Amino acid sequence: MTAVLAKTRTPDAPPVERGEASWRKRDRWWGLVFVSPQLIGMCGFVLLPFAVGLVLAFAQWDGLTQLTWVGFANFQAELADPVFLRSIINTLVLALITVPVGLALSLLIAVALDKLRGRTGYLLLYFAPVMTSSIAISLVWQQILRADGPLNQAFSKVFGIPGPDWLGDPHFVLAAVSIVTIWSSLGLNVIIFLAGLQGINPHVLEAARVDGAGAFRTMMAIRLPLLSPVVFFSTVVAVISSFQTFDVVFVLTKNGGPDNSARTIVYQIYDEGFRHFQFGMASAASIILLVLTLVVTAVQLGLQRRFVHYES
Amino acid sequence: MNSNTFSRRNFFAGALGVGALLATTACGQSGGAAGSSAKITWSTWGTPEEGQRFKKFNAQFKTDHPTITATLQMVPSYSDYHSKLLTQLTSGTAPDVFYVGDDYIGKFVSSGVLMDLTPVVDGADAKVKLADFNPALFGAGKTDKGLFALPNDCNPDVFWFDKKALAAAGITENPADLAAAGIWTIETFLGMCAKLAAKGLHGAMFWNYWSTHWSWVAANGGQVFDAAGKFVLPEDPKSVAAIKSLADGFTSKSFTVADTLPDGSGADSLFVSHKAGFYVQGRYGIATAQQSGSKDDYDIAPWPTVSGKPGSSGVAASYLVINAKTKAADAAKTFVGDFLSAKGQTLRLADGGNAVPSVKGADSVVLDGNYPAHAKSFLDMTSAGFEDFAVEAKVPGLSSDVSTAMLGMYQGKTSPADTITAVSKLMQKAV
Repeated sequence: MTAVLAKTRTPDAPPVERGEASWRKRDRWWGLVFVSPQLIGMCGFVLLPFAVGLVLAFAQWDGLTQLTWVGFANFQAELADPVFLRSIINTLVLALITVPVGLALSLLIAVALDKLRGRTGYLLLYFAPVMTSSIAISLVWQQILRADGPLNQAFSKVFGIPGPDWLGDPHFVLAAVSIVTIWSSLGLNVIIFLAGLQGINPHVLEAARVDGAGAFRTMMAIRLPLLSPVVFFSTVVAVISSFQTFDVVFVLTKNGGPDNSARTIVYQIYDEGFRHFQFGMASAASIILLVLTLVVTAVQLGLQRRFVHYES
Repeated sequence: MNSNTFSRRNFFAGALGVGALLATTACGQSGGAAGSSAKITWSTWGTPEEGQRFKKFNAQFKTDHPTITATLQMVPSYSDYHSKLLTQLTSGTAPDVFYVGDDYIGKFVSSGVLMDLTPVVDGADAKVKLADFNPALFGAGKTDKGLFALPNDCNPDVFWFDKKALAAAGITENPADLAAAGIWTIETFLGMCAKLAAKGLHGAMFWNYWSTHWSWVAANGGQVFDAAGKFVLPEDPKSVAAIKSLADGFTSKSFTVADTLPDGSGADSLFVSHKAGFYVQGRYGIATAQQSGSKDDYDIAPWPTVSGKPGSSGVAASYLVINAKTKAADAAKTFVGDFLSAKGQTLRLADGGNAVPSVKGADSVVLDGNYPAHAKSFLDMTSAGFEDFAVEAKVPGLSSDVSTAMLGMYQGKTSPADTITAVSKLMQKAV
């Protein structure tokens, strides 16, 4: 085939090149037209806000009057603000709970579903919360987690003592947010893990079985190492996602929970921007969140070399 | 080129044509008042029931002014309302006329985004005059630069009491009668709350906001801000003692923070099921009492004072303002004049409405129907009351931050001294 093409092009190469160049040029324009909606959206909703946020981080602006440049004062004020520091701790704790627990549960479910017949129905059930509005999910959970809600009623029936005030007691609010976050994101990770498990070469598993490896040994020595790139991907995404937790906290708690016990960084950004009209402070907080996310992601990428196994 | 082919040039020409048409149409729909008709938008927060009242007003307004069409943009939640408004103002899409809460009005006024409303209340043909308004309600809306906000209506925090619950706790005195006799003292009130708590009932339920903290300080003869706007509470022994007694009320379980009650058994539910003696709220308490099915069990009294004589307490208000960038200024002024006139307020607040009028001539909406029995207290307390202090209202979120600090004390997590220090810091930071 290649030879045929070469043969047809060789005698009058210059005209073909001109035609190809012209076609490519036209194609490039059409390519730009096709990607332009995405590009315009990206510029309008990501790049431009990012640039404005970066500028505002060094200014004082209430959205109504002219802005004033303040240098690094917003960053200094944020880092000295105990409420903001509390929001950083809450965000980190939330990530430390939701990421490992959520991923472990997803992996267990994916392994259970891997060889199960009729797993599509289960997958639909697990994936339904991912497709549902997080606001709707939070509103439903708000009713479930009420002090006199169905969860506590069941709790008191089983244990004979009243259940905790999930949304009113500062010791339990972050746990409540974690439960809702894990539950609502479970389905996506199950799908990803299941796809990863089914992508494992069956010959490798067969060889392990022939060598006498049991189910547990196969899981630990074969499937988990081969699944590690997928686990790594899910971990990075889950950490970034947990750093951006807002909607669940916004709906589930009043003003970030009692004693700011569930106030996350993004909630703090919203609070400073849209309740206190301090867009400079809010922008500084969002830059700090960006740096935090970059650092944590860089650490994860560094650890990848040690723990992630890529099949050659 | 084939005549059926849609070329790129044709496409762009067509797109430009459609764009120009749309732009022309949009210009024609904007609220310019130069022609014979004008369109204005106005926004507020509120419940669906309040929305019905506003729609009723809109219909009446259209009848009175056939050339002006007023369209309501309603936001259900107060907590989301001002952030939405800010976004609209920043992007130049704010309504022509809008409500502003008393904890945000100072900021909007000082930012210069509002029109001076002096022409609305000035002149022989003004529907409502400046002198008609209760002067206590202007708050941060009136400055030395002009009159930028007018109170829509107001809600003095009154002590709703449940005669049945009081009787169950062995209390035979009627707080409203004691107030009328000038012997409604804080000591008597605290004694009643202690008796209610001893019977396993809630003594008094308060909402955690500026009116609760500062009304209690005022009732105890204290001072929160001085005339220059300085936060003087920490230096005033009476105020410090008042904050301590307020904290004691909550920690001893005589008082309850209504905001922290679980949804299923909130303050309204407790009050209608006769499990609380007092519930401090505005005229909207009528709806709560009606829910009980035995509304005559409930009546109102003013805040108790040290001497027992009537004092001054907080009056929550909302304000109506005009966007400085409105393109339909005349229509907007007409709307504001009608909305705030005695006729407009009567239309909005009659038949068990949820607030007290802010102008003279509409008192009948409070007194008609003789409910509650001492309904006149609403008017007396409004006249003698005070609005959220301008210093606090000037800084968005400050009032809420102060309440968050106070909540720690009400829940017994922080001492009164530490709370006063924390509130002082918030005030200093804000200034």
